[in-house]
Amino acid sequence: MEERFDCIVVGGGIAGLSAAMVLARANKRFLLIERGEFCGAKNVSGGVLWGSDLERLVPGYSTDADAGFERFVGHRRLTFLDDQSSFSLDFKSGHFHETPFSGVIVLRARFDEWLATKVQEAIDASSVADESFLATNVLVDRVIQEDGRVTGIQAGEEQFFADCVILAEGVNNLLTRQVGLQPDYVPADHVAVGVKEVIGLDRTVVEERFQLDGLAGMTNEFVGYATAGVEGGGFLYTNRESVSIGLVLGMKDLREKRVKPYDILNDFKSHPAVADTLRGGEVLEYSAHVVSTGDMGSMPKQLYGDGVLVVGEAGHLLMNSGRAIQGMDYAMRSGILAAETVVEAAADVDFSSSSLRRYEQALEASFVMKDLKGFQDAVHLLHDPIMYEKMPAVLCDFGRSFFTVESEPTEKAIKSFRKAAKKHLTTWELVRLSAKAAKSL
Amino acid sequence: MRFCVCIKQVPDVAAPVHTGRMVLNAYDASAVEEAIVLKEKHGGTVDLVLVGPSGATETIRKALAMGADDAYHIIAEDHDKLDSFAIASMLAGFFEGREYDVIACGKQAQDTDAGLTGPMLAEMKGLPYASNAVGLDIEGDRLVVTRQGDSGQEILVLSPPCLVTCSNDMNDPRIPNLRGIMAAKKKTIESLPMDQVGGNVSPRSQTIDVFDPPGREPGVMLDGEPNEMAGTLVNKLANEAKVI
Amino acid sequence: MARVLCVAAVQDGRIKRSSLEVLTHFRQLCDRSGGAVEAVVLDPQPNQFVDTLQKYGASRIFLVAGDAFGQHLNEPVVRALESVFRQSGADAIAFASTESAKDVLGALSVRLGAAVLSDVADVDVRDGDWVATRPVMAAKRHARTKALTTPVIVSVRAGSYVASEAPAEADVVEVSFSDDEQARRPEIREVLVALGGTVDLSEATVVVAAGRGVKDNEGRQLIEELAEVFKAPIGATRAVVESGMYPATSQIGQTGKVVSPDLYFAIGISGAIQHVAGMVNSRVIVAINKDPDAPIFQYCTYGLVGDLYKILPSLTEELRAAVAG
Ligand SMILES: Cc1cc2nc3c(=O)[nH]c(=O)nc-3n(C[C@H](O)[C@H](O)[C@H](O)COP(=O)(O)OP(=O)(O)OC[C@H]3O[C@@H](n4cnc5c(N)ncnc54)[C@H](O)[C@@H]3O)c2cc1C
Ligand SMILES: Cc1cc2nc3c(=O)[nH]c(=O)nc-3n(C[C@H](O)[C@H](O)[C@H](O)COP(=O)(O)OP(=O)(O)OC[C@H]3O[C@@H](n4cnc5c(N)ncnc54)[C@H](O)[C@@H]3O)c2cc1C
Ligand SMILES: Nc1ncnc2c1ncn2[C@@H]1O[C@H](COP(=O)(O)O)[C@@H](O)[C@H]1O
Repeated sequence: MEERFDCIVVGGGIAGLSAAMVLARANKRFLLIERGEFCGAKNVSGGVLWGSDLERLVPGYSTDADAGFERFVGHRRLTFLDDQSSFSLDFKSGHFHETPFSGVIVLRARFDEWLATKVQEAIDASSVADESFLATNVLVDRVIQEDGRVTGIQAGEEQFFADCVILAEGVNNLLTRQVGLQPDYVPADHVAVGVKEVIGLDRTVVEERFQLDGLAGMTNEFVGYATAGVEGGGFLYTNRESVSIGLVLGMKDLREKRVKPYDILNDFKSHPAVADTLRGGEVLEYSAHVVSTGDMGSMPKQLYGDGVLVVGEAGHLLMNSGRAIQGMDYAMRSGILAAETVVEAAADVDFSSSSLRRYEQALEASFVMKDLKGFQDAVHLLHDPIMYEKMPAVLCDFGRSFFTVESEPTEKAIKSFRKAAKKHLTTWELVRLSAKAAKSL
Repeated sequence: MRFCVCIKQVPDVAAPVHTGRMVLNAYDASAVEEAIVLKEKHGGTVDLVLVGPSGATETIRKALAMGADDAYHIIAEDHDKLDSFAIASMLAGFFEGREYDVIACGKQAQDTDAGLTGPMLAEMKGLPYASNAVGLDIEGDRLVVTRQGDSGQEILVLSPPCLVTCSNDMNDPRIPNLRGIMAAKKKTIESLPMDQVGGNVSPRSQTIDVFDPPGREPGVMLDGEPNEMAGTLVNKLANEAKVI
Repeated sequence: MARVLCVAAVQDGRIKRSSLEVLTHFRQLCDRSGGAVEAVVLDPQPNQFVDTLQKYGASRIFLVAGDAFGQHLNEPVVRALESVFRQSGADAIAFASTESAKDVLGALSVRLGAAVLSDVADVDVRDGDWVATRPVMAAKRHARTKALTTPVIVSVRAGSYVASEAPAEADVVEVSFSDDEQARRPEIREVLVALGGTVDLSEATVVVAAGRGVKDNEGRQLIEELAEVFKAPIGATRAVVESGMYPATSQIGQTGKVVSPDLYFAIGISGAIQHVAGMVNSRVIVAINKDPDAPIFQYCTYGLVGDLYKILPSLTEELRAAVAG
């Protein structure tokens, strides 16, 4: 018996589920396959889903107390650390409380599962309710190709066929490589390692300690001592009854410096500026995951082929600009756009690569590719040792003199800053940094 | 033979407590697996019954995807307040007028570890039963149960209708494949309101509160070469812990 | 407090220590608040246990003789206990939580209309209320559970209390039991008794437990040598029972037995929650594992990171010397 679907989605992360939602609403017969025991089981993420696409996928989610998010972003902070001090840019604003939220903090195990139930509801409401499936605990072993066209997938002994396959398999994109869209070898400087812990605290402690009102939450990115001289950055996000704390570290630099991410994370956690916020907490989970750096050099040469589309981090659609990591919002938008392309292609009965090209065009026109291109310099700046080693030292030195009141004549701020800069940076580095920063942010 | 397996949805004990994920009780998964293996070998049918909240349908589907036939869902929204006696009473009501050769239960629920429902149900229905099965087989019209007892195994022969409670040491439950998952979706799950099966039975026990047990003192990690560690340990066992 | 009938489980010709623990606990409760503790033995020759039960303070002892009790079978046990209970007029029946007890609790409770508190770690009676503490969620949490009706049936985990003597003169009541050939009951075809040590795991003061890190005969030998030092029984994880290396009777954990010795050696055991559920109440836990992140180290008193094949030979030797000296 041959089973045929309109579309098969491989991967039940954000990208895959977003595509599935659009397919279900369009009454398409599809099969989504996730290898984890449930959607979200295998997913690690620090946790801010930026932007308003979620409102598009699940209208009214923000007023649903049982929605899968932890808190909405109500307070943002960017902190520069040296070994004992921290210097922060801090932003809190009433506009953050308006819906749709500008970002929500999520724990993926919960969020993905919730999104999957929403997709299931959309399937149940569709005209092909009994013919679309969310299947978990199944690993797709390979993509079936006939005459260069992708026609289906194989999982264990079973084969299933479809007009089109959407690969939403995440950063470890073996199937994308199998169909030849991505070279087998991705240079180590194009990938990073994300490590994260979830630290449990009482809800009231989280809310009091971070001064959070209701479901408002705080996001804090860190640059500098957080990573012990390894290229990368840190983050801390407040959940309902826990905080997520972690680091994203350059793989190449880690290897060269022979340090273990876990040890750096422990150092980071004991930094005075961080330790205070975690006091009394209990580690509930530790996880590590590869993450793209946002360097476009690592992207597949093309995100479509005959009968196949690549979405989310499988296509290395991620940006880490230092201000924020954006992978989930890119995953969501690319999933939506790919599914819309499938719906259009079905209307034309044409799943050739020239028809599916529309997906890449839509992506180019969206914030995803615009930002990815526009902020490449920021991405590169973040990889510059000046940024993660020297800049924090400058700011913290400046902070120390600016905020310390002594029984001495007080120095003008600009003078303190110059002094601090001079101590850590050569004139040339200062020029290079300002030029880069001006261009990239 | 006609099997009916009583399945329960429980929190995943291996996951951190805060996640609250619900799964099929591992002991029941073993019971389902064993019944399906016997069905594959000797023919027959495998039905399922679950008492639990409406959200438990996903758990039923999972067991259907393994290859069970029909499923019944007795809707009990605040299922947590029910003890094994109340559950067994409802199941007894459910089995009234339904003919099965073998009712299979898990030997215990992974969350409460009560281990009572099966034998209670057997007694209510006047059925011979065997608990803690680690092996099942069919010989002619009889069920052969290998039971794990205190000091060894007992091989028991039961004449249907009968009841058996299963240990997870019996097998490794299969992970449903895509065809199983797809077939499960097309199977009907018949839901039955509680009062239709005599759901007004009062429980005989009640949980007052649930708390974290006192933690253990953090341990001491020993370093060094094997013989150094051995020496230090023996010293500590003798002088610090005073157990030798 | 009321009258409590304790069921004395017999194994290898003696009353199990866990039954004596239960008897002791209820004797002490009764001493404090009035009431009486009684005992019942089901055995082909129950008279031989009268002395022991008197020594532990039973005020009345019911003896039920029957060949049917030579092997465990649920139907005759349930029937016999029901009749003794009715004859005694007790308010509660208490068991040690053995596999045989688990087999009959549910059925007996239906016959008696009793509430059941099974597998408890502690039980108390106040103002007539029976409240037990039960490990739940693979012993990650504890629940306090209350009986809502009487009579009450309770089964207590081995090692929850310390057995102590308090000799008393007891009335001995012989209860007749006739085998009912008509009863619907399983038929015993064969009993396969596991060959193992003579010491019951749940009664031992030292337990040596092996996990998947013990890979071969050499490893087994090392475990045996260590156990020999203490004449300790060998416990095992599900993983090594499944592989056939150890009998199922040695399995410790949520599915297997619960132990709480003074000294527990966890060797090549990762410390999965379902295993820990069966040993976390041991007084001193020594863990040997080559993986420093193995969860077992979160529960141990002393942790040795390293290869068991390298550590055990010198450890056994040192222990042998220490124990001998
Ligand atoms: C520590 C860390 C912190 C981060 N923080 C943020 C943040 O704050 N904000 C943000 O926007 N992004 C963040 N990201 C990035 C973000 O998590 C990813 O970009 C995003 O998850 C990508 O979504 P996706 O759906 O493409 O892939 P994934 O979420 O990785 O999902 C892929 C899914 O496919 C499944 N799968 C893979 N192969 C197969 C197969 N062969 N068969 C079946 N199933 C398969 C996987 O199990 C997985 O569920 C972070 C990442 C890390 C590691
Ligand atoms: C419902 C349910 C009930 C269960 N009930 C039980 C139960 O009653 N009892 C039970 O035990 N399990 C039970 N389990 C199974 C349990 O989850 C684990 O799978 C099992 O306990 C693992 O056994 P292990 O530690 O021997 O094996 P593993 O988890 O494989 O661990 C082996 C350990 O040995 C270490 N090791 C390897 N080589 C060496 C060496 N040379 N030197 C030192 N260390 C070494 C490894 O680092 C590893 O940590 C149950 C599971 C379920 C789902
Ligand atoms: N809510 C339920 N619905 C169906 N079967 C149940 C339910 N609760 C318990 N059981 C069955 O009874 C067994 C033992 O449960 P317990 O007595 O709670 O330990 C389980 O393994 C199931 O087979």
